[in-house]
Amino acid sequence: MTENLFKILICDDSMLMRKKLKEIVKNCGCEDVLEAKDGQEAINIYKESNPDLVFMDIIMPVKNGIEAVKEIIEFDKDAKVVMASSAGTKEHVKESLKAGAYDFIQKPWEKEQINKIILNLK
Amino acid sequence: MFSQYFGQYLLNEKYLTKPQLNAAIEYKQSVHLKLGVLAINAGYMNSQQVSQIHQMQAKVDKRFGELAVEAGFIKEEQIEELLSSQKFGHLLLAQALVDKNYMTLEKFEEAINKYKKKYSISESQFDALQKDDVEGIINIYVNLESDKYGIEIKHYIALFMRNIIRFIDSEIYTNKIIKVEEYKTKWAAHQKIKNSIILQTYINADEVVFAKIASRFAEEELSTVDEMTKDSVGEFLNLNNGLYLVEMSNRGIKLDMEPQAVSFEKVISSTYVLPIELPFGKMELIIAL
Repeated sequence: MTENLFKILICDDSMLMRKKLKEIVKNCGCEDVLEAKDGQEAINIYKESNPDLVFMDIIMPVKNGIEAVKEIIEFDKDAKVVMASSAGTKEHVKESLKAGAYDFIQKPWEKEQINKIILNLK
Repeated sequence: MFSQYFGQYLLNEKYLTKPQLNAAIEYKQSVHLKLGVLAINAGYMNSQQVSQIHQMQAKVDKRFGELAVEAGFIKEEQIEELLSSQKFGHLLLAQALVDKNYMTLEKFEEAINKYKKKYSISESQFDALQKDDVEGIINIYVNLESDKYGIEIKHYIALFMRNIIRFIDSEIYTNKIIKVEEYKTKWAAHQKIKNSIILQTYINADEVVFAKIASRFAEEELSTVDEMTKDSVGEFLNLNNGLYLVEMSNRGIKLDMEPQAVSFEKVISSTYVLPIELPFGKMELIIAL
């Protein structure tokens, strides 16, 4: 897989957070970036576009991130979904991993954390 | 941060005028702390002793510390401790006031002692204040011990202040928290924290300040309340509340929250209002049970 073909889906109800995360992943050489503003949109986009990596917020309208991970994993058991939320309570981390999330990063995230995850999966 | 509190106290108690305070704040960036102010602040010397040493210095070519030790006003270890202590903001302010002749050493001594007495500040609390320990300041200014969920609200306020300092501006000042029957907001980002405790949290400000808060958090120029401005303040509140959930979870209290939103001119009943002054204007942190 060449670097530019690595497809990333960013799901966050905050457009500011989507914008910031998009800048970081683009700087990491990933040009193919998709965006969703709630869990349901993320599921729909995942099914259509099959991204290599998903960054997923938890507290969102319509459908929350943990529900969305469950459905994405049901559709594709190898999906790589990294939760990115400020609400990194023990309960949320546990529920996310149980739902099939690949990793959990606590907001405010550091650029280096995002870079490391992408480099590990590329 | 404490220099804002001490400066405000000096204004309230009419030790200074607002233009004098502003001029001193501007000047304090370039101020060099002198031992006399440090010694009075620490309570090692009084202003009379400091003045006496200043007069001696005019006649004898010796350092302040040396003369004060010789006169038996202070111990050598205390001088060393003062010299190695960090530059506390309110001391830079005090030195600026003395340098500009807005205040005498005697008045500074009187003000700092009255301040400690007024708020019943112990030595350890004063230490915390000087080191800008947010919890220490909140303990003095926010008294909610007897209120329902008062402790939880206090933790919330302390975390919020730390996040304002971290993401928006370090020069903040809070007035006393008040409880009101009804409050009408201007622009307000809000989010509900729920489960065993229900807290409705709001960041309220007028258009200019709301946009400025958004601009600082987003790290981009925002001057009106548009979609990005609303999103930015909402996300700042969401970030703060997420961190609050983590803090409470670590204390064994499991909470959750709903997505954040922004509204204009919303009426809130029976609520706490904490006025916060930032260098660019005023905002309110509103917490309703």
